[in-house]
Amino acid sequence: MEILEARRDGVLVLELAGRIDSTTAEVLEKAFLERLRNGDARLVVGMGGVDYISSAGLRVFLMLARKLAEARGSLVLCALPPAVRQVFDLAGFSGLFSMAADRAQALSLLPGRPPSA
Amino acid sequence: VSDTGAGGRRLLRNLNSLLDVSKALALELDVDSLLAVILQKAAGVMDAEMSSIFIHDEAGQRLLVVSGDLGKGKVAIPLGVGIAGHVAVTGQVANVSDAYQDPRFNPEIDKRTGFRTRAVLCAPLFSHKGRLIGVIQVLNKRGGGAFSAEDETLLAAFASHAGVALDRAQLVESALEKERLEEALRVAHEIQMGMLPRHPPSAGGLDLVAALRPARSVGGDLYDFFERSGRTWFALGDVSGKGVGAALFMAVAKTLFRAHATSEASPARVMAKLNEGLSLDNERAMFVTFFAGSLDPESGEIEFCNGGHNPPFLVRASGAVTPLPQAAGCALGIIPGFAFETERLRLDPGDALFLYTDGITEAMNEREEQYSGERLVRRLEALAGRAAQDVLSGVLEDVDAFVGSAAPSDDLTVMVLRRPAS
Repeated sequence: MEILEARRDGVLVLELAGRIDSTTAEVLEKAFLERLRNGDARLVVGMGGVDYISSAGLRVFLMLARKLAEARGSLVLCALPPAVRQVFDLAGFSGLFSMAADRAQALSLLPGRPPSA
Repeated sequence: VSDTGAGGRRLLRNLNSLLDVSKALALELDVDSLLAVILQKAAGVMDAEMSSIFIHDEAGQRLLVVSGDLGKGKVAIPLGVGIAGHVAVTGQVANVSDAYQDPRFNPEIDKRTGFRTRAVLCAPLFSHKGRLIGVIQVLNKRGGGAFSAEDETLLAAFASHAGVALDRAQLVESALEKERLEEALRVAHEIQMGMLPRHPPSAGGLDLVAALRPARSVGGDLYDFFERSGRTWFALGDVSGKGVGAALFMAVAKTLFRAHATSEASPARVMAKLNEGLSLDNERAMFVTFFAGSLDPESGEIEFCNGGHNPPFLVRASGAVTPLPQAAGCALGIIPGFAFETERLRLDPGDALFLYTDGITEAMNEREEQYSGERLVRRLEALAGRAAQDVLSGVLEDVDAFVGSAAPSDDLTVMVLRRPAS
């Protein structure tokens, strides 16, 4: 699994590629938690390059969505290949995520910049 | 007294103390006790004020300091740094008469302990195969002055005994540690397997079998079945992830299922209760895909509820194999309050319901190809109408043949419920 990182107007954009199985899910979880600790709360995750996601991978996204909700942040997943989308659908969790066709749409779906303190 | 006499006596004394050391070291198999003995004997034999050992941490490319003042492993220095680090790299004895004049000397440890280092004699510790075990260092010859060439030879001889003894003790320790871990996992495996029911209900001639194979010692798959007021209750689930974490969540899911399925009226009610229980304090967002049902063996009618699990296959006696409709529910543990619904189907005589976890369809061979749902359907079509045990074995044998010598990648569970042909 690979993680490519970019930033657009204060939004962290992570592009994932490869297999997200129980081994790589741990790596991904650490990567997400580290970004959250650094204060990132507006995330777009591009899944276009993901070949496979296991239930362990799905758990990491549930955890991420939950942590972001607690931090009043937001998350949009985009470009899910059909096989990946099916894993979300099968477990009945697609409704918990905001999903977009591509990165541009994902960025437009993110709610406006949170009011600065 | 002539010089030769004094030299001879010193040699004899040295040989005696080495023999002593060698005996003492041979008796110790515990790493910590051995380190203490080495520290004490080194200072004694070498007539030094202080001794310390630097244990080579191969993975970390560093030396862990062991001394009376600093304890064990609280201070680490990189290979190559300081006099000891230098000796670890060169493998040669170093004899320094005034540490503070030597550019390699690292005064950091003196600062911590308040000790004032003057003379340093330092030798590498090797295993008998020549692997670097660490470095031993003695500080400040009693009575002042530098360590002599004779001291160098003596410490080198001492170090060769100590290195072999330490190597052996470390090997024993890691073997014991491995054995303890394996034993713990073996017990965990037995406990987990012991949670699975052994005797399938057979009311109304129902033909029910199940099998679970964890990919590691413990896993996150589960199944259950039991009889309650004339109906056969059954369930099969798959916890997200693998290993010990998944196994603990599995144990909770299994326990909660039994508790609620023996009192709640419908599969949907059981799922709702199970979902509430698993959602509580679920910090790690673990979940279990779960399929639960109850069957009336007389009529073949099944009430079921699918919580995000891959749909089981209905295997008709005629050979038609169709998946149940995709779950309307969601996997358990994430969305408290989710409204589950009970669905229904009917097994005619000779029909079977085939439940499985994705360890079957995602079983991988050495070319990293998956067994796949298509292959499973073809296999089930060929096995239609056969006894439940034949269907189960027939599928597992086909999966095994497909996987070949590849290591199992996921837990694998199958359950077959078949209504006998009339």
